[in-house]
Amino acid sequence: MARPPIEVENVTKDFGKFKALDDVSLRVPEGNVLGLLGHNGAGKTTLVNILSTLSPPTGGTARIAGYDVVRQSRQVCARIGLTGQFAAVDEQLSGLDNLVLIARLLGAGKRAAKQRAEELLTLFELTEAAKRPARTYSGGMRRRLDLAASLVGHPDVIFLDEPTTGLDPTSRMGLWQIVENLVDDGTTVLLTTQYLDEADRLADSITVLSSGKVVASGTAEELKAEVGQRTATATLADPAEAPRALEALGRAGLSPVHDEQRHAVTAPVNASHELAVVVRALDEAGIEVSGLGLGEPTLDDVYLNLAHHASESAA
Amino acid sequence: MTSTLSAPSTEAPESSPDRANWHGANVWTQIVVLTGRSLRAVVKDPRIVVFSLLQPLIMLTLFSQVFGKALMSSIQTGSYINYLMPAILVTTGIGASLQSGVGLITDMKNGVLGRFRALPIRMGSVLLARSLADLFRTAVQLVILLCAAAVLFGFSPKGGLLGTFSAWLLALMVSWSLTWVFLAIASWVRKEEVMQSVGFLAMFPLMFASSAFVPLDALPNWLSVVARVNPLTYAVDASRDLSLALPVGTGVLSAVGASAVLLLVGAFFAIKGFRRPL
Repeated sequence: MARPPIEVENVTKDFGKFKALDDVSLRVPEGNVLGLLGHNGAGKTTLVNILSTLSPPTGGTARIAGYDVVRQSRQVCARIGLTGQFAAVDEQLSGLDNLVLIARLLGAGKRAAKQRAEELLTLFELTEAAKRPARTYSGGMRRRLDLAASLVGHPDVIFLDEPTTGLDPTSRMGLWQIVENLVDDGTTVLLTTQYLDEADRLADSITVLSSGKVVASGTAEELKAEVGQRTATATLADPAEAPRALEALGRAGLSPVHDEQRHAVTAPVNASHELAVVVRALDEAGIEVSGLGLGEPTLDDVYLNLAHHASESAA
Repeated sequence: MTSTLSAPSTEAPESSPDRANWHGANVWTQIVVLTGRSLRAVVKDPRIVVFSLLQPLIMLTLFSQVFGKALMSSIQTGSYINYLMPAILVTTGIGASLQSGVGLITDMKNGVLGRFRALPIRMGSVLLARSLADLFRTAVQLVILLCAAAVLFGFSPKGGLLGTFSAWLLALMVSWSLTWVFLAIASWVRKEEVMQSVGFLAMFPLMFASSAFVPLDALPNWLSVVARVNPLTYAVDASRDLSLALPVGTGVLSAVGASAVLLLVGAFFAIKGFRRPL
């Protein structure tokens, strides 16, 4: 029986009195991408640090490719790739030298190391900048080099800790493409992110972390269905009509809110067909609308929804 | 994944042939590769060497030219430059070891050490490589200083080339052992500013309350008491014994012994501290 490449059982991590992780368990099957979703301070990086042997858990066990992260850390290190929030490359060295260095440390011979480095530089479109010191690279290039560095040893498992935070949209899309290619090759990935759309695009399943606890998990669809709430926004041609618009939407069974800054009314809707309800209600009331939109649910919506559910079940 | 439930095995799971041996280089390769990396940074940016040479060069000029004549009377061993140079070698070496500590912290900030941590290599190799690269750099610096002293200020000690060479070796030994002390401090402190001030606070009293620049007899009484217990006095005296062909007594031996102790203690705490999570 094959073990899943990532197994986390009841892991806790305390920093003094602060519980950074509280009884976290998860498994990622081979070739899958797990999106670990959460705000800053939710415990995402702490979990990645434990899984990549950088810090030991206070309690519980974690195994990578069957190896215990505490007792068999060297075996774990030999099988993982880590890309953190901040590009971990040697600024003084060129892109090529950075990759050669990693390959040599992993045990590749000189020629094999150079070959692997060049392969990765081509793959990540860094060939032109190969000989320049990494400190001259742009943010996006640096992140690509960092990701390349974590792939040098053909790792079985890759940790991507907020890989697109601070990147411009183009670099972000580029990075997504790269991650998708990796997954096609059968690599198992644990991705942390603050963005629901990123997790939605890349992950097979999503685990939501809040204050160190797993508060939800499932596929992106399941999670979104559960969240449901998307936000319909109707921009009013005449801002003075706002009270009437609120009344009309209220009568249609929605709970609208006035967005004064944008001269709009917004209302949480459960599915796209409810957008029609908004349109009809406003039309029947004779209110002219200059713009209409449906917002994607964000991480905040997920949290709000979970909090909502929690308070409902408590009541 | 081919590892099985029955065996929490330490042997490698099967993998494709192109990565069969890519599970970590041996320790020797780790050290060579990592030392090469640190040295390459120096070669690529020689400003580091040039700037770190400025301070000792200024000291050398200042002391030999400004105080040289005034201090001559209290020195029995010929010219002041010959007296001064061994002290410059030792203090420059110690300054370099402080810089090693600062450099380690810079590397930690840089993030590249974070990557090394997640590689199947020993943290001891990372530290040893850093100390070796810095030792090499210091060795070159001291040679440049010696040449400058000989050409510009007429440094020609009685011990000749052999004496100078042994004084050079002794200064490097002291520097290397103190490198480990500063690496240990760096891996616990982890803040450049703190490290700089720790170094500054330690260095200045050590340098001036010692026999480095004037003989102990020329110091006021209380200061000469301090100087007598200052380990730097012994390192400088030993270096002086060698380069000036003075009778080599227990000074050199105790300098070697003290260095060895510092090295072992420093290495122990450096590795221990360095392994702590970032």
